[in-house]
Amino acid sequence: MAKPFEPKITAFVCNWCTYAGADLTGTSRIKYQPNIRIIRLPCTGRIDFMLLQKAFARGADGIIVSGCHPNDCHYSSGNYHARRRWMVFNDLMEFMGVDGRRVTFSWVSAAEGTKWAALVNEVTDAVRQLGPYTEYQRLIGAGVA
Amino acid sequence: MSRIGVFVCHCGENIGSTVDCQEVAARCKQMPGVVHSEDYKYMCSDPGQSMIKQAIEEQGLDGVVVAACSPRMHEPTFRRAVSEAGLNPYLCEMANLREHCSWVHEETDSTTDKATDLVHLQVEKVKRNKPLQPIQVPITKTALVIGGGVAGIQAALDIADSDRKVILLERSPSLGGHMAQLSETFPTLDCSQCILTPKMVEAARHPNITLMTYSELEHLEGFIGNFKATIRKRARKIDEKLCTGCGLCLQKCPTRKISDGFNEGLGMRRAIYVPFPQAVPNTPVIDIQNCSHFRKKKCDRCVKACPTDAIRFEQQDEWITVDVGAIVLATGFKIMRSDQFPEYGYGAYPDIIDGLQFERLASASGPTQGVIKRPSDGKEPETIVFLACAGSRDAAKGVKYCSKICCMYTAKHAMLYKHKAPHGKAYVFYMDIRAAGKNYDEFVRRAIEEDGVKYIRGRVSRIYEEDGKLIVKGADTLLGGRPVEIKADMVVLATAVQPNDGQIDLARKIHVGCDEYGFFAEAHPKLRPVETNTAGIYLAGACQSPRDIPETVAQAGGAAAKVVALFSRDRLTREPLVAEVNRRPSPIYSDCVGCFLCETACPYQAIGQETVTDRDGKLYKTMAKINPGLCQGCGTCVATCRTKAIDLHGYSNEQIYAEIMSL
Amino acid sequence: MEALRTKAKELLAQGEVQVVIGYEAGTAGVRRPCFVRTAESAIRLVWDTNCIGNLAGYLTRPEIKRFGKPAIVANNAVLRSLLQLVAERQLQQDAVLALAVAQDGVVTELPTAQAVEDYLAISPGGLSAADREKMEHLAQLSREERWTFWQRELERCIKCYACRSSCPMCYCGHCTMDCNRPQWVSVPSHALGNLEYHTVRAMHLAGRCVQCGECGRACPVGIPIHLLTCYAEESVHRQFGQQAGTRAKLDYALGAFRPDDKESFIR
Repeated sequence: MAKPFEPKITAFVCNWCTYAGADLTGTSRIKYQPNIRIIRLPCTGRIDFMLLQKAFARGADGIIVSGCHPNDCHYSSGNYHARRRWMVFNDLMEFMGVDGRRVTFSWVSAAEGTKWAALVNEVTDAVRQLGPYTEYQRLIGAGVA
Repeated sequence: MSRIGVFVCHCGENIGSTVDCQEVAARCKQMPGVVHSEDYKYMCSDPGQSMIKQAIEEQGLDGVVVAACSPRMHEPTFRRAVSEAGLNPYLCEMANLREHCSWVHEETDSTTDKATDLVHLQVEKVKRNKPLQPIQVPITKTALVIGGGVAGIQAALDIADSDRKVILLERSPSLGGHMAQLSETFPTLDCSQCILTPKMVEAARHPNITLMTYSELEHLEGFIGNFKATIRKRARKIDEKLCTGCGLCLQKCPTRKISDGFNEGLGMRRAIYVPFPQAVPNTPVIDIQNCSHFRKKKCDRCVKACPTDAIRFEQQDEWITVDVGAIVLATGFKIMRSDQFPEYGYGAYPDIIDGLQFERLASASGPTQGVIKRPSDGKEPETIVFLACAGSRDAAKGVKYCSKICCMYTAKHAMLYKHKAPHGKAYVFYMDIRAAGKNYDEFVRRAIEEDGVKYIRGRVSRIYEEDGKLIVKGADTLLGGRPVEIKADMVVLATAVQPNDGQIDLARKIHVGCDEYGFFAEAHPKLRPVETNTAGIYLAGACQSPRDIPETVAQAGGAAAKVVALFSRDRLTREPLVAEVNRRPSPIYSDCVGCFLCETACPYQAIGQETVTDRDGKLYKTMAKINPGLCQGCGTCVATCRTKAIDLHGYSNEQIYAEIMSL
Repeated sequence: MEALRTKAKELLAQGEVQVVIGYEAGTAGVRRPCFVRTAESAIRLVWDTNCIGNLAGYLTRPEIKRFGKPAIVANNAVLRSLLQLVAERQLQQDAVLALAVAQDGVVTELPTAQAVEDYLAISPGGLSAADREKMEHLAQLSREERWTFWQRELERCIKCYACRSSCPMCYCGHCTMDCNRPQWVSVPSHALGNLEYHTVRAMHLAGRCVQCGECGRACPVGIPIHLLTCYAEESVHRQFGQQAGTRAKLDYALGAFRPDDKESFIR
């Protein structure tokens, strides 16, 4: 019997808000699904859009990008720069026909342990529903001579 | 090939109960580059740490992954342990198996799978870690305090008392600031000059303080511990060393009718003047705009009067450059003037005055020797109306924010008036009474209950003159908006507190941020309230937001403590997790193309430039250069750089890429 | 055209510039770039409606820079590129003499970035009507149809980098594509790498693209690749209200921010 599909979720989070928020989820013992792998960065400002591309290229079915709420950035404005970057990137992905439902951007503060758990569960369920991102994954290795 | 050691912690039952730690350790042994892998009950305990140290020494490890709790918890612990075994501390990474895995998932295979992935991620990262050395920045142990009001004086004294040198800069001819203008202070009604002037004298006499009045900051470069400040010392036209402050020149000066700024235009001064009798220093200044010598080239009465020959008409401004390690901004505030209110006659009525003018009228050393008199005819008013929130909390006509000090000083003004004229009537129009502070509400109650000040909750819609009286029309909102009309002799507007003139220019000069109103922005509203975003520049007083005296003094002490803490070491040690623009051999020098689009993306103004010239001194290439003293390591520039010329130590492109590829 | 030749001749003869970058007649009515370095050869210059290529890319080439001070025959695309290059500190304010040629052949000398800015304020360029129509057509399709459209287009890409070479804003000495530690995008041409390459190019030109369409014209297999960069630029314009190549002093849209930037997708 084939194993049921379990989505692969990659998360890029900032060290000061969302990573700490996810720590709080842990200390509060709030349970969520184990599909997610977190990559820790200092700030959302550090999250190059190419990192998202590479995550898809490695077969991620869904991506979460999360950092400090506007006005709360540890580095005062990294998240504002990140927001502009995502505003354009999101728009461009839509124009290129990349499935926007596979990328979730959010602000999760260090106090929002509950929000983090809910977000991860929501995204995992939604992506499980969507199924594997075959459209993109078909490209991997396609046309390589 | 890397020699990585993996250490899986059970954290008692915390990790061990849902993750099969033994299995994780066993799987890690299969990962390329891992030469040692073991699990243990408590990795952070002494025996646990010893295991790590022993393995480093015996196996010659060049990288360590501790799979345990959150790095936010124990990263410093394990980095220290690793360095004790002779390995660079930045070659140790942590996989978060507890907060991000065992505590949030059930005991299933996928939980152990996830734990393995989390370790693998860090193994791939640590393989690409580079040994880093903490950044050492030398410190010039002299502070520059900008602004000589109570905030600046307090900060300067606190720093100087800790045996550090201070340069105290003041734009006007004397120390004192707004506080020197005040009559008495809430909530204790002690005389402002009595408590301030001793501090002014102390600051001037302090062996560690260099006082520079009538001087302004012209230019600032450098970074924390190493600023270079250029100060413009304006010419007083007086030889300060010779002047004894006897004041004979003042008496002889024939130009006598110049509006006196210190008395808020309610008195007159001469062309050669000291702002007020207790000024520090008490060296006069010649106001060349009004002095007959400069206007008509003929008067020299002050020269003749001076017993020490100290007058120097030819004296010019000087530019002085000083090295300082830290800066305290204490540039204070200004208030909106009464001519900014159309509904109150645009300043057309001389008996509508602002709060600072009332302070001067009430001050024993003021133009009326403390007798409250109308500016128009010198009569003592029988009815005074005080308006709180003139311009504050009024997005349409003034500023959005609460000016914070007005509720208290309005109560004080009304109280002072009632003390001086017990039969007079005092009305206060207010929106809310904000009297939070030690003994503050009691003070307001006293004004109302003991001194009989009438408080009316409502706004004043219009003021106009009729038969020598000011007709104040408003509404009492507590009585359902019933119209109120008061015939007053004088109206005092508690006008909004605003950032001082030139504050935005100053902010630009020294690269600190301002909020939307033009007040200096703090680095963090809660946790770093006395620091700016530029390391080494601190804030004190009302230049950050409206503040009263106790708060200002407390914040000045806080800023001084930050400076003293900084100066307590010879070198500043910083985490080396900073960004760097790569360097290549000639003729490329760097992948950076010098577009400087990263410059504005940096929240810390840490990006400067470096140039390469050829043998003839001709410019060959301009590249970005990141100042490691200023960089805080957010990495926003890294994501902005198209050529990938910038990278961030500790979170490099190669490291993050490898992490993604491990998944 | 005569006015242009006379002007070029004059400038070269007087030594005011050392090279005039312009168009000359190629085969079959095509106009190709030429680099006129002597007054006598100014006769080679042509100007007509076929002169559509963006010559500004040459301004940052070291081999062209070596000639000395350049004058450049400029249509609106060249002028916008010039301003953006100044904004990105690749050219000094007065390093290039732009020769703007109007439809009636009148030549206007624009010696500084300020002069270019003033000139462009009168006759701004921008996205062509045809490109706008294509873009709007694509926007109307479903997400899956757009994906299919772009996959069909991009699978023809042979990664010859003609788009990059023709782009006046792709002046980086070391492109992300040339990066091998890590190898962000793989070298050979295949479906995944092509998608990544063109996404990166569009993102890197967001807020910087002057919408000249040169990359699309340069593409040997006819991929309308300029639509991607133009779209990214439109996105910046729509959301942040600024356009590349309109001012000589322009903060990079993705290196700046406003606390009240509005989006609706971040949760």
